[in-house]
Amino acid sequence: MFVLAASATFAQSRKALRINEVMVQNESSIVDDYGEHHGWVELFNSNFAPLEISSVFITNDPNNPKKYPVPLGDVNTKIAKRQHVVFFADGQPDKGTFHMNFVLEPGKDNWIGVYDADGTTLIDEVTIPASLVKDNSYARTVDGAGEWSVRDGGKAYITPSSANVIRDGNKKIEEFANRDENGFGMTIMAMCIVFSALLVLCLSFYAIGKIGATVSRLNKMNASGVDKKEVDKKSVTHDSGEEIAAIVMALHDHFNAHDTENTILTINKVKRAYSPWSSKIYGLRELPNRR
Amino acid sequence: MSFGDFLLKNLQQFWELTGFANAEVGNFVMLAVGLFFIWLAIKKNFEPMLLVPIGFGILIGNVPFNTEAGLEIGIYEQGSVLNILYNGVSAGWYPPLIFLGIGAMTDFSALIANPKLMLIGAAAQFGIFGAYMVALAIGFAPDQAGAIAIIGGADGPTAIFLSSKLAPNLMGAIAVSAYSYMALVPVIQPPLMRLFTTKKERLIRMKPARAVSQNEKIIFPIVGMLLTCFVVPSGLPLLGMLFFGNLLRECGVTNRLAKTASNALTDIVTILLGMTVGASTQASQFLTPQTIFIFFLGFMAFVIASSSGVLFVKLFNLVLPQSKKINPLIGNAGVSAVPMSARISNNLGLEYDPSNYLLMHAMGPNVAGVIGSAVAAGVLLGFLA
Repeated sequence: MFVLAASATFAQSRKALRINEVMVQNESSIVDDYGEHHGWVELFNSNFAPLEISSVFITNDPNNPKKYPVPLGDVNTKIAKRQHVVFFADGQPDKGTFHMNFVLEPGKDNWIGVYDADGTTLIDEVTIPASLVKDNSYARTVDGAGEWSVRDGGKAYITPSSANVIRDGNKKIEEFANRDENGFGMTIMAMCIVFSALLVLCLSFYAIGKIGATVSRLNKMNASGVDKKEVDKKSVTHDSGEEIAAIVMALHDHFNAHDTENTILTINKVKRAYSPWSSKIYGLRELPNRR
Repeated sequence: MSFGDFLLKNLQQFWELTGFANAEVGNFVMLAVGLFFIWLAIKKNFEPMLLVPIGFGILIGNVPFNTEAGLEIGIYEQGSVLNILYNGVSAGWYPPLIFLGIGAMTDFSALIANPKLMLIGAAAQFGIFGAYMVALAIGFAPDQAGAIAIIGGADGPTAIFLSSKLAPNLMGAIAVSAYSYMALVPVIQPPLMRLFTTKKERLIRMKPARAVSQNEKIIFPIVGMLLTCFVVPSGLPLLGMLFFGNLLRECGVTNRLAKTASNALTDIVTILLGMTVGASTQASQFLTPQTIFIFFLGFMAFVIASSSGVLFVKLFNLVLPQSKKINPLIGNAGVSAVPMSARISNNLGLEYDPSNYLLMHAMGPNVAGVIGSAVAAGVLLGFLA
């Protein structure tokens, strides 16, 4: 189970990689480190933890899933949480990690796929329509999720290496500020949740208490071999700590025990100080207690 | 340059680095506050475990120095020792460790024996949201208002955790305010408890709690964690650690871990948390009009929380049979200042009836308050983060 869970977690982290935005024909958008314009593919880490993508494959050929392996040993292939990297489709992999060995072809449908390190597990794919004109990009409406749409660089921003939705504030907080000016809404919602959580806990422990009492009564019946009525009579009456204390005090008064000592006896436990870390006892597994 | 000039120049440079050359009025005000906290702790015995580290931290944080010299000594200077220790506060990992210790030292028996007392712990959270509304009215943004309002939960670690997420710039003031009012619980709560109760109500005797089995004590942290965190997953760091600590205590096979969590670990984190929270109150960051508002709102939150706990019990009593009435003096214990507010319930109860011990009954809402405030923090985090 552990192995299965571990492998599922690993797969899940790589599966968080998303193709986020693509430009096929780049004449006036971003330039690479050499000052040249090329088509590009933006990948997005939708995880809330860093994601190492070296050894992942990017391809434009479904029959050749291992076409461009993201090289090992480049610190920049570790994408920070919820961040992006751009790969240039210039067919010149010798220029560096972020230059792929294929180009995107204008006027045709361009399929792009990202495969995991095994070269068989498809992580994400997209087909860029042939109708995409130069300097337009094809992007997800929301980073890492949502539908794809064409962006022309006007009101629909083209955003290589940055978020497709530009956040200039916290929408949640703005909404609370605008729609719940005096805080009544928050108070009602939050108190309902707090009460519900504790009410559910309360009801659960009523139920658990009842079940516990029933089980305990059944155990008593089994142990003493008596029927339900007799157990009820015997048990409930002596459960209170106060009653037990009262009985003990009454007995104490009755026997008048230990009232007349004229000396003080002090029992002082003498113990050699030692660290449990060096004790052999704590280094060994204890045998289970038999009851 | 003569040798004399050389000496003079270096001594002058040294003088510019000293506290005397960089002192401002604000530093002295904060030093006085720090000394006052230490005095309260030592002479008045007001929460010394909290106020001594915080008070001394305030002294440490307000020794003036030349901030432009790049000495890497200030708590807000990256790479300084104090900054490294402060990471536990700013990144929010001290509070869950404190909650682990609280879980390991808390006996939830009173709550398990009488689960309806959990609702008192929920009612006291009105303090948080009452203060939230007042904070909005004063002009704080919703996220800041939420971070300030959590002071009403009377739970220092929760307040620090939430403010580190919602309003890191206000964290110092929020933390100091929360701990100050927790220390002042014996002053704030009794007048409110007297105000909202009649003499007859204060004399109500509650049935002794039933004995709780070991199995119930083991099931409680497991079920408690799963239920509360399924409702409010954003409370996971606090609630998860609280219930985990309690399982260590109750399961009976991890005594060493429970002992470490409730003693050594809690002590270490309390020292670091208190000291760094105190040191974070550098005059330049702390002495602002906002701080005064935060202290005012903190007071409001405590008053509303304590009052709503007491009033909720009175309301609850209307539907309870005569034999199961709850003494409203335990209502104040819904604020999670453990165990101070429960002790206050007990003391006030004894004042009116010397044989009416309310401590164990008050511990129920008191620990429910811890759970309730962590849930409330999770709710605020979920809505506003």
